[in-house]
Amino acid sequence: MTLALRVEGLSKSYATTAALRSLNLEVAAGEALGYLGPNGAGKTTTIRLLLNLIRATSGRAEIFGVDCQRRPVEAHRKVAYVPGEPSLWPQLTGSETLHLLGRIHGRVDLAYRDVLIERFEFDPSKRVRAYSKGNRQKLVLIGALMTRAELLLLDEPTSGLDPLMEVAFRECVHDALDNGQTVFLSSHILSEVEALCQRVAILRAGQLVEVGTLSEMRHLSALTVEADFETTVPDLTAVPGVKAVVVDGSRVRCQVIGPIDPLLQVLAVSGVRRLVSREPSLEELFVAHYGADPSDPSRTITDAA
Amino acid sequence: MPPDASVDDQAAANVVVIRTARRTARSGALWGVVFGGYVALSAAGYASLYPTPAARAKLADSFEANAGLAALVGTARHLETVAGFTAWRSLGVLSVAGAVWGLFGATRVLRGEEDAGRWELYLTGQTTRGRAAVQALVGLLAGLGALWAVTAVIVSVEGSMSTVRFSTTGSLFLAVSLVAGAAMFMSVGALAAEVATSRRSANGIGAAVLGASFLIRMVADSSSNVGWLRWASPLGWCEELRPLGGSRPLALVPVVMLIVTASVAAVAVARRRDVGAGLFGGNDAPAPSTALLSGPATLAVRLVRPVAIGWFAGLAVLGFVIGLVAQSAAAAISGSASVTSAVERLGGHRGGAAAYLGIALLSAAALVAFVAAGQIGATWGEESAGRTDNLFVQPLSRRGWLAGRLAVAAGLVTAGSVITGIATWVGAASQDSGVGLGQLLAAGVNTAPPALFVLGAGALAYGLRPRIAPTFTFALVAWSLLVEFAASVVHANHWLIDTSVLAHMTPAPAADPNWSAGAALVCLGLLAAGAGVALFDRRDLAGA
Ligand SMILES: Nc1ncnc2c1ncn2[C@@H]1O[C@H](COP(=O)(O)OP(=O)(O)O)[C@@H](O)[C@H]1O
Ligand SMILES: [Mg+2]
Repeated sequence: MTLALRVEGLSKSYATTAALRSLNLEVAAGEALGYLGPNGAGKTTTIRLLLNLIRATSGRAEIFGVDCQRRPVEAHRKVAYVPGEPSLWPQLTGSETLHLLGRIHGRVDLAYRDVLIERFEFDPSKRVRAYSKGNRQKLVLIGALMTRAELLLLDEPTSGLDPLMEVAFRECVHDALDNGQTVFLSSHILSEVEALCQRVAILRAGQLVEVGTLSEMRHLSALTVEADFETTVPDLTAVPGVKAVVVDGSRVRCQVIGPIDPLLQVLAVSGVRRLVSREPSLEELFVAHYGADPSDPSRTITDAA
Repeated sequence: MPPDASVDDQAAANVVVIRTARRTARSGALWGVVFGGYVALSAAGYASLYPTPAARAKLADSFEANAGLAALVGTARHLETVAGFTAWRSLGVLSVAGAVWGLFGATRVLRGEEDAGRWELYLTGQTTRGRAAVQALVGLLAGLGALWAVTAVIVSVEGSMSTVRFSTTGSLFLAVSLVAGAAMFMSVGALAAEVATSRRSANGIGAAVLGASFLIRMVADSSSNVGWLRWASPLGWCEELRPLGGSRPLALVPVVMLIVTASVAAVAVARRRDVGAGLFGGNDAPAPSTALLSGPATLAVRLVRPVAIGWFAGLAVLGFVIGLVAQSAAAAISGSASVTSAVERLGGHRGGAAAYLGIALLSAAALVAFVAAGQIGATWGEESAGRTDNLFVQPLSRRGWLAGRLAVAAGLVTAGSVITGIATWVGAASQDSGVGLGQLLAAGVNTAPPALFVLGAGALAYGLRPRIAPTFTFALVAWSLLVEFAASVVHANHWLIDTSVLAHMTPAPAADPNWSAGAALVCLGLLAAGAGVALFDRRDLAGA
């Protein structure tokens, strides 16, 4: 098995924070790995370390066997990167930007570039300063994907895209996988990663907490349930699968892991006035699973909501 | 319509006036305290430091003949009186300070709000684009009123002191003169804000106008023979108002004309353009041009190009004006002991136009060094905005990128120095001043080594501590300039003088350029730049 990415003990500390603590991770060539973590977990730090934009405090990383920090130029030949907050030259037009990025990278699939422009319904004739956030995001996506690089490092690449364009983005990731490329997709939204990745790594406060296939992570798919009661609030803490119960007057919020039947049965006989369920944020999930953030004692479930 | 709704509409229609007036009046009042305090301190300080007519006459003799000081803050008149000294001391400094305040205040109100997307909120109501601009101008006027009122009150109080004794009208007119610069550049800023495509470029346009006014005023005051040039500069008009002694309210005519013209033009442009767009360069879908987009170095050239055009134009104008006035300025200063000693201190030995050019080109050298400092600022700006990340994630060497970027900057600096020399020659030749093209070209190139040293030192700072690198680099140039001015007024320690990068160049064409000293400066700069490149390769990038 060829490894697209091998990370050994990679750490990055700033004066006041340990942004990444001794990360160990392997990604096989041709695989799509979801890199999940709430905001501030260290996802961007990891990707910037892999790209040698920042220097590691300790540890090392290889891209297809090339050391990221010692031989960055060689490593970058195999990589394309999409930032979550694109910052481009406002005076250049979209097509000028694509031309420049293509010339510097050296290898561009022009036919595929045109497919991408069409798929994202992108108008490359305007100056970057005239583009909305979503259009800038499309521009960096096209710029990265058109290189057909062996490893795609995507840092929350769909921020700012509307739902229709997220569908187009997923198509592109499938293209890349069909083409044998490797995808490293960072995100703070579980459902996005679920749709694209076979394997998920979960990062929290700079630390890797779990790595595994999606089926191994099923226990993570939970629901947040909020219920308003007409009379007294029943005790839900004893209901199987229910965690992180917070009572606020006549309202209850909780997480449900696994089957929801037991909870519904209790609610049905308790005089529920209103019931809302939604996918929990990663923060809520993490608190339900691992308790409050170890690095931040002040953070509780009420703050996270 | 119920009555309270029309009140609401009225309030909504005036929201721009009210918001602008509130903010600008507060800062105007604050600056009024600074203006008034500066005037009061100047007057009180003079009265207590020079109590006797003899002391005052001595001061007047030495200062009124100092061409360097005159160039910097304006021609001194009647320094034997509190009024003359106070007017001279405050007008040159506060006109410029007020102009900066007015300029940036106007672009903030007329463009910053818009770039931040707030105007779109107001403009959805019954406020049209042109009306919003009028309202903003009225609001700015309130700020100007606050600046004038506070200044006038403090000056009048100080003027009533027994040791000072300004007439009431004199005090009020001084306040008018001090605020004139702010008023003019507020209107210039307003027009620039409408014409430009962003607040940043509006500030650039306004600063260029201010810089040109200052340079022309500076040249005009460097010699009595070219005093007429003052009429070509808004800052010169401020000086021509001559408050507190021979007041000339007639000089208010061009001041008022500029304010009215620029304001009316600003409103006219505001009516015609779209939100977020400008009058020029506002084409957001130009024909693509890939000529300079083949790699990082050519990209740097493309990004620098508009800045370069501005600098080249500024240096050409400065050089040309210096050359133009050299002959008559030399005639006026010939035999002046302070000028001769200044030339000698700098290592010059020729007299006449060459002596004047040698001193005047020192200011060009400072400007060229500022060009270099600006390049360090621009490089950091590209990095901190995260734009260079797009390059550094590509297969290209960081060392190579910075080396290329510095080479482009060095090319800009060198070209600027050559243009200065040629433009000076064009100006000088038109007046038959007898200084040749070869000599002035060499004098132009002579301004490059200090700037290249500044570039290298800035690159080292950029590799080491990028956040403070632009400040450090600009401070290095400002410090050098300060040391040069200090040394021209008082006898200074030579260790102190040696800390100025400008002290290490000969004042060509008053003497032949010292090429070996220049080469040494360039080598030092190269060494520093090399160290900077190596450090840059190993440090964290700032990113977005
Ligand atoms: N330049 C920096 N200086 C100090 N702390 C930083 C810096 N960059 C990131 N951090 C910190 O490192 C942590 C991880 O940040 P980041 O990698 O951006 O998280 P994510 O991308 O997962 O949202 C955060 O606590 C952040 O505040
Ligand atoms: Mg991030």
